Amino acid sequence: MGDKMIAKVGKMSGVGLLALLGSTMLVSADVTVEFWHSFGGGSGEALAQIIENFEAENDGITIDAQEIGNYNDIVTKLQAAIPAQRAPDAVIMEVTRYGLFADRGVLKDLTPYVDADPLKDDLFGFAREVGVYEDKNYIVPFNSSTPVLYFNKAIFERAGLSEDTPLNTYDDLLAAAQQITDTLGDEGITGIAAPGQFARWGLIMGNDSDLIDSVSGEILLDAPNTIEAYEFMASLVHEHEVASPDGVTQENNGRDAFLAGRVGMMINSTGNYGRAASSLGDDAVVVPMPCNKVCAVPIGGAGIGILSTSDSEVQDAAYQFISFAASAESNALWFSETGYMPINQQTAQQPLAIEALAEKPGIDVAINQLDFARGRPRPPVVTWMRASEYDLWQAMALGQRDPSEVLTEFAESTRAEAERLER
Amino acid sequence: MLRRMTPYLFVLPLLAFIAVFTYVPIVQSMNLSVREWDFLSPTKPFVGLDNYRLLLDSREFWNALRVTAVFAIISVPLRLLLALFIATQLLRETWVSRIMRGALFLPAVTSTVAIGVVFSWVFSTDYGMMNALLKSIGLPKIAWLQEPHVALWVLIFVNTWKQLGYDIIIYIAGLQAIGPELYDAAAVDGGRKGHVFRRITVPLVMPTTYFLLMISVIEAFQVFTIVDVMTKGGPAGATDMLVNMLYRVGFNLFDIGVGSALAVLLFILLITLAVIKSRVIGRKVHYEA
Repeated sequence: MGDKMIAKVGKMSGVGLLALLGSTMLVSADVTVEFWHSFGGGSGEALAQIIENFEAENDGITIDAQEIGNYNDIVTKLQAAIPAQRAPDAVIMEVTRYGLFADRGVLKDLTPYVDADPLKDDLFGFAREVGVYEDKNYIVPFNSSTPVLYFNKAIFERAGLSEDTPLNTYDDLLAAAQQITDTLGDEGITGIAAPGQFARWGLIMGNDSDLIDSVSGEILLDAPNTIEAYEFMASLVHEHEVASPDGVTQENNGRDAFLAGRVGMMINSTGNYGRAASSLGDDAVVVPMPCNKVCAVPIGGAGIGILSTSDSEVQDAAYQFISFAASAESNALWFSETGYMPINQQTAQQPLAIEALAEKPGIDVAINQLDFARGRPRPPVVTWMRASEYDLWQAMALGQRDPSEVLTEFAESTRAEAERLER
Repeated sequence: MLRRMTPYLFVLPLLAFIAVFTYVPIVQSMNLSVREWDFLSPTKPFVGLDNYRLLLDSREFWNALRVTAVFAIISVPLRLLLALFIATQLLRETWVSRIMRGALFLPAVTSTVAIGVVFSWVFSTDYGMMNALLKSIGLPKIAWLQEPHVALWVLIFVNTWKQLGYDIIIYIAGLQAIGPELYDAAAVDGGRKGHVFRRITVPLVMPTTYFLLMISVIEAFQVFTIVDVMTKGGPAGATDMLVNMLYRVGFNLFDIGVGSALAVLLFILLITLAVIKSRVIGRKVHYEA
């Protein structure tokens, strides 16, 4: 047993050493890494800067970065590109949706690379965990986030609400949203943006539940607390009319309306911090998510994976880039420009991060939420569940169907789909 | 031998093109429709007619078929009637009619995605122009894209607005082919305007109507871009048309087998409709005056 163990450890060390050598030394010829991502605007500019820094330090490696669309678009286009043999070498994958691709062997197991990379000791625990599926590492986090609650200080003041208005429970949210709508509704200002899917997940967790248990994999769509959370969220739109239905059918409409100063509050990813600050200036205030029954928020964002079909030297070059992008220097640049959370424990010591933390109020809210942030499940069925949930949310939010009935049916169909995918 | 082969050689490039981009994908879709595949798995197990059974048993499929049929039944006659009426008004070669023809044709050559985005904002419930207009005249706002019964009408309106210009131009061409001597003879006989329109214009423009009917029904059953941009099939499936469902099942839910089965059913449906139209209406079409 002992000999076997020693042999195994020796073998693993060998693989690790090879991977490390591969990732740091063997990329000598000119290599181009095709990299699909989802960042435009200010985030796109920050990413371009990171790529430029990487290429300056790594002669012979070119990162051909292509903005493909949002996370859903990437999943759709990637699955079409794979059979067509047009898949990229590296790709940004949302943290709950890479499991299917890992399960089907599309993503390369990065465990040897990660094990041999000193970076792993610098990553926060949550950041190491989000890339692991069935004990193997398939993605390295790049942009991590939690949902936070944004509000518009100017709208609050005009509605007679102070900056310290409690926003800790569902009732608090509703009361503030109601006051804004009642006071400023005639001007076309609504209280709160209809929650998008990430925000819905956050509000469900804050109600001491989940969609799928991240540890046991149990489907919790029909759990009483999940139903209660959906009932509350749907009531904001169709019963209390404090959230515009525009944000139900087109999720980005709610965010855009908030950024345009037409909505009092918005629950959204911390990755919107940069956009909110540039659109609303000092009026953009960030506070923690409500803790209705418990304090809990989902960890969102995405990591970079490598396609198993790429040539090995391209994979090595891709990992070098991934490691660089997660380094403290790059992460500080990314954090300060976008508001996405630091994933590297050394990030906070970087000058850019120190400056951002000192000068950008609220940028640390997501970091402070890490104490009660939870990883989310990533079995193959999550991709199906998330794609199916939009229609059902619309039915509930627009008052067309009863949440309890919808979620009971949805839970059953998700269990059936999970079984089918397992087969 | 070469002499006999020459015509075939001339059409060979086109045949190869059509085979690669049309016939092979049709056969491939038929093959995939009896298999289970998610684009990623290396194997595609044969499942017989299970995908078709799954589809025919699903509430979603029948809803999509119903929504598509309603969309086609309303939008096709609306388009053709409006186009014929406007074409008769723009038949004269004046500078006004030329400008109007150009203006009406513009949406047909404008990007459908751009049109969808613009109209999404026009019909936005809280921030849109339409509700601002209603408010200015004291009427309550309407949830254009969130109210199931209204959203489909909005899509019909936008689609008609986009396609109308094309139909008008084709109708004008058809109307211009009608010999003026027929109208002269009708005028000599004292034919009234409506009577002349019913007895001369409508029958003689029938080949054009038949062509447009064929094209517009196929288009109506294949409408996707406007739906995807403006409603994504929502609210709650109220505008979920067949091609939108096909895209969702295949590309969002990773079920290529069921998506292909839906594509095959849509193909059969369109062929059947074309045959019925040809039998019922085609007989009434006369290509010579």
